[in-house]
Amino acid sequence: MTLSGRLGGAQTPMLHFIQFAATRAALAVITLIMVSFIVFSLMELVPGDCAERYLAFKNTTGAQISIEDIEAERVRLGLDKPYVVRWGVWIVNAFQGDFGDSCILRLNISQLLGEKFWISLLICLTSLLLAYLIAIPVGIISATSKSPIVNNSLRLVSYLGLAMPNFLLALMIMLFSTMVFGDSLTGLFSKEFRDAEWSYERVMDFLSRAWLPIFILGWSATAFAIQTVRALMSDEVGKLYVLAASARGVSGRRLLWRYPARHSLGPIINSLGFDLNRIFNELPIVALILTLTEAGALLIEALARSNDQQLAGAIIFLLTASIVGINFVTDIILALTDPRVRRSILG
Amino acid sequence: MSDTAAAADTDANVDQSLKEAYFTASQGQLIWARFKKQRAAMVGAAVLIALILAGLFAPFLTPYDPTIKGRNPDYQNGAPNIPKFWDENGFSFRPFIYSYERTRSIETNFRWVTTVNRDKRRYVVLFPEGDEYTLLGIKFNTHLFGVDEGKIHLFGTDGTGKDIFSRTFHSINTSLAVGTIGVLIAFVLALIIGGISGYYGGWVDSILQMITDAVRTVPAIPLFMAIAAFIPDTVSSEGRFFIISIILGFIGWPTLARRVRTHLLTERNQEYVLAAQLCGAPAGHVIRRHLLPSFTSYIIVDLIISFPYMVLSETALSFIGLGLKEPVNSLGVLLQNVTKADVLLNYQWNFIPVIFFITLVLAFVFVGDGLRDAADPYADTKK
Repeated sequence: MTLSGRLGGAQTPMLHFIQFAATRAALAVITLIMVSFIVFSLMELVPGDCAERYLAFKNTTGAQISIEDIEAERVRLGLDKPYVVRWGVWIVNAFQGDFGDSCILRLNISQLLGEKFWISLLICLTSLLLAYLIAIPVGIISATSKSPIVNNSLRLVSYLGLAMPNFLLALMIMLFSTMVFGDSLTGLFSKEFRDAEWSYERVMDFLSRAWLPIFILGWSATAFAIQTVRALMSDEVGKLYVLAASARGVSGRRLLWRYPARHSLGPIINSLGFDLNRIFNELPIVALILTLTEAGALLIEALARSNDQQLAGAIIFLLTASIVGINFVTDIILALTDPRVRRSILG
Repeated sequence: MSDTAAAADTDANVDQSLKEAYFTASQGQLIWARFKKQRAAMVGAAVLIALILAGLFAPFLTPYDPTIKGRNPDYQNGAPNIPKFWDENGFSFRPFIYSYERTRSIETNFRWVTTVNRDKRRYVVLFPEGDEYTLLGIKFNTHLFGVDEGKIHLFGTDGTGKDIFSRTFHSINTSLAVGTIGVLIAFVLALIIGGISGYYGGWVDSILQMITDAVRTVPAIPLFMAIAAFIPDTVSSEGRFFIISIILGFIGWPTLARRVRTHLLTERNQEYVLAAQLCGAPAGHVIRRHLLPSFTSYIIVDLIISFPYMVLSETALSFIGLGLKEPVNSLGVLLQNVTKADVLLNYQWNFIPVIFFITLVLAFVFVGDGLRDAADPYADTKK
């Protein structure tokens, strides 16, 4: 059985790979469905439903509202259907990118979020990329370096990254820049570009301001990443195959890069999703401090000020969906580069 | 000749007894011995103990009540008073601060302005009687220090005149309490879920792992912001405190549960487990009495490492106004108003508490790291 299995695997690696990808995709969808259940239940837990809120708003404009009106509105919005049905409808629409209307703002959520969500995702992914661009070389150096100065200073940096959460860092930078430059460096766009169409000038304006949130969000991610890379590398460096390679005459950067680094980068690719998760955790608070106008700020707005559960649910679902997406992509990348991973899933 | 032989003999004896002490030492003694060798961790531990004591005895150590009750209406947004020993008017053995007056006149455009009177000194006194507080169930009104007249504000005051020094010390207490409850809840949840998952394995494990993974994928802070937003405003500040602690506990469990599960999965096939099972021990008994003690030290280390994240999450939640609220003091509550341009430009002493919290978190991280290294039995052989 094992023989034929192995032969089968060897004969059709393509089929093997497709099978693996399909399994992972199915797992991702199941995760998303479970997450949507959590998010949807949370939305349902809020006292009062959309119909009541909508009519309460109408009431403020002077119209007389009766219980029958509320019931009629419930039927119109489909709120009279059982829980599971509504969840089903919500998730089917959510997978098509439609989250319905926010009943507080009475606007379509997809339109409201649209660009803002992509900007947030872009900022987060850029800071993640930045974190690893710094962490991989630095981590490798610190794992192989014997110099106590290098090691201790890197240790200090990573401890500071852990102890100084991003929002405190953001606060400190604001304090500093207000005292020194007299400008708090907040916002994502200058006034004249806030609602303008995308153009070259708007992109440049965005870039001139986006570096700060990117730096702040990347701060503790970098500290974490350096620690991970360092730990993985120090585990690998002492192993026999590295010694064997150096005995064969490979040395210096070439040795590190071809042998231990390749092994230790696998788990890092695998954990990208969780790094993104950590960055998302900080996003709303950093957004609040820097008064950014993107999804994180909208989430705070939706939760802290207006109790807008549809909007909050949509944002949390989208954030989670992007993490699940990243996890899926990294798994595929890993499987493409590392056959051991494929085997571990398919047995 | 015989002397050297005797010396060698005693050396051997000492060596022997050292070895014996090493081999008969309990896990705790071994960890402590390794922990003592790490300077950074020991410094961290000392700072941590100092901060915990500062938090516990905050009502005594600080001169005023941290809530609106202890506010100083004559010194709002007041700069820190730094005790001095001498100035142009001469030297004094007792440290003193200047008195301040709050005035409003046509010169100040009818705004309240605090002026410092350098000629009138207020001397620092020890053990004055002040605001009443309860410590260990007994009512006191003696504080460690104060001034003979008016009030002293080492870290200045905030917009309503509350003493930032008192608030900082009280908020250390709150953060430690929230962290402890949060960690305990996370711990219990992790033990139950990770324990069941790891002990039974098979399909129970698969399903529990799938749920854990799904929960782990959702960004915790946005999710719990959503939950915290639904706490009605009518809940009392104590009730809010407990709800927030529970929420923090829920943030922490998945990582810990995974650790417990992984460990149980490897341990449950050991012979001593089989022996216990053959003696007819029920699952709960085997997990509690035989499996858990085999990795208690790891669990303790994990708890200490996850502690700062609890504290920081609480700070973040309170900061955006979804966590704790006045009159409870915590770092997040203290920082709620500091993003205003007015505060950033003119009242920077509102940021002083941040220093204490970075120290607190760093101390926890150092101790946690030191303990992790100390609890690893292979730490010595690796080097």
